Amino acid sequence: MRVFGHDLATEWRQARSRIGLVPQELSTDMFEPVKRAVAYSRGLFGLPPNPERIEEILRSLSLWDKRDERIMALSGGMKRRVLIAKALAHEPDLLFLDEPTAGVDVELRKGMWRIIDEMRERGVTVILTTHYIEEAEEMADRVGIISGGRILMVDEKDAMMSRLGRTEAHITLAKPLDALPEQLSQFPVELEDGGNKLCYRGGDGTGKGKEEVAALTKALIASGIDYTGIDTRESSLEDIFVTLLGEDGEAA
Amino acid sequence: MINWRSTWSIYTRELMRFLRTAFQSVLAPVLTTSLYFIVFGAAIGGRMPDLGGVDYGAFIIPGLLMLTLLGETTSNSSFGIYMPRFTGTIYELLSAPVGVGETLIGFVGAAMTKSLILAAIILLTARLFVDYSIAHPLLAIIYIMLVAAAFSLFGFILGIWADNFEKLGIIPMLFLTPLTFLGGTFYSIDMLPKPWDTIALANPIVYLVSGLRWTFYGSSDVNIWISFGITLAFLAACTGVIAYIFKTGWRLRA
Repeated sequence: MRVFGHDLATEWRQARSRIGLVPQELSTDMFEPVKRAVAYSRGLFGLPPNPERIEEILRSLSLWDKRDERIMALSGGMKRRVLIAKALAHEPDLLFLDEPTAGVDVELRKGMWRIIDEMRERGVTVILTTHYIEEAEEMADRVGIISGGRILMVDEKDAMMSRLGRTEAHITLAKPLDALPEQLSQFPVELEDGGNKLCYRGGDGTGKGKEEVAALTKALIASGIDYTGIDTRESSLEDIFVTLLGEDGEAA
Repeated sequence: MINWRSTWSIYTRELMRFLRTAFQSVLAPVLTTSLYFIVFGAAIGGRMPDLGGVDYGAFIIPGLLMLTLLGETTSNSSFGIYMPRFTGTIYELLSAPVGVGETLIGFVGAAMTKSLILAAIILLTARLFVDYSIAHPLLAIIYIMLVAAAFSLFGFILGIWADNFEKLGIIPMLFLTPLTFLGGTFYSIDMLPKPWDTIALANPIVYLVSGLRWTFYGSSDVNIWISFGITLAFLAACTGVIAYIFKTGWRLRA
């Protein structure tokens, strides 16, 4: 296995020095003050002390006020951020985050997403595992789906969405139809609910579906078919995920 | 290839851990040493003859030093590696670009430093009770550091082997403390009746105590070179075991 061109078996020192790791469990040295713990992580990875950089990291994670607190005195969310700070202290190019937002409240999760986004902007490759598919949809460039230790699929998120995603629209008709009119045959539609509703299933998760639904409504008006309601829904990454492997599994 | 910055980080962090409990680290040896001197030095020592030309109070100083040193070094370093395993913080050490070299030099270096601090405290306390002089101070320092290195490695192995707190405490309690007490801490093994004086030679601690006593007073139960040899052999054996543990990741990578 190679990381950044370094063989993990023989050049593990070079490879490890560029990788940061944030474990899932809140494993911290409870008695240590925040700043010293982060400075230790930097030193452990063989970098010279750099108080300015440590300060920058702690400020970006809103931990600067707590720099002299013992880690045991911090809340769960803060401990999580200390772990991220420790992983960032040696300026890794590749960062593994193992479920950073598990059991974290909504506000903090949003904050965490912002931090992760900033790291991404700075050019750090972030590999994040999560059970929240919403999170992958929100942040990921590429998504991999893992089930039972096997990678089922790895692809660009947008490509995955366009390949597997789609739009569903249910149009309630003013008068029931017996058969699909000729004018609608170019659309992926079918009648349902005894001809009371028209169902559209198509698109690709990139907005093509919406355009087609708009075109479909125009075609309905043009052919003199009246309707009383439209219900459209874009399938999310979650739907794709569920169709791929059912309810259980883990997305990365 | 050793990454000295990483090593220094591990070393200073270990020392910090010691200093965080500085009050206890200093007070405990002062108190125990004083107690031993009151009981053995003052109460019993007055009725004891000189041993090999050394006053009994002075005679027990190297033994007391060894007693505290072995206990403290072993428990300190076993906790030092057991706690990260227990709390999970060991992930950081295992994911860092450090190998067995950095880890051991950092941990053992800190243990040696701590042992010298402890020794100084004990010797200063002893000075309050008895008058003594050290025949070979430099050799004494080297010997203390060697023993500290060996037993910090031993504690390291213990901390890796133990998978609960009970196991962590049981080896020092069942083996180390009895062997130390039976190892000539408070007496010369010449004083033992036959055949116990010969059986005592099977106790490795006898050689450690005897070696340190030689650096203090220039005479001892066992030849100093045998003591040195046994200390070095123990050090080498522990180093070998740890190198093997790191190579295989036994009990380190859960």
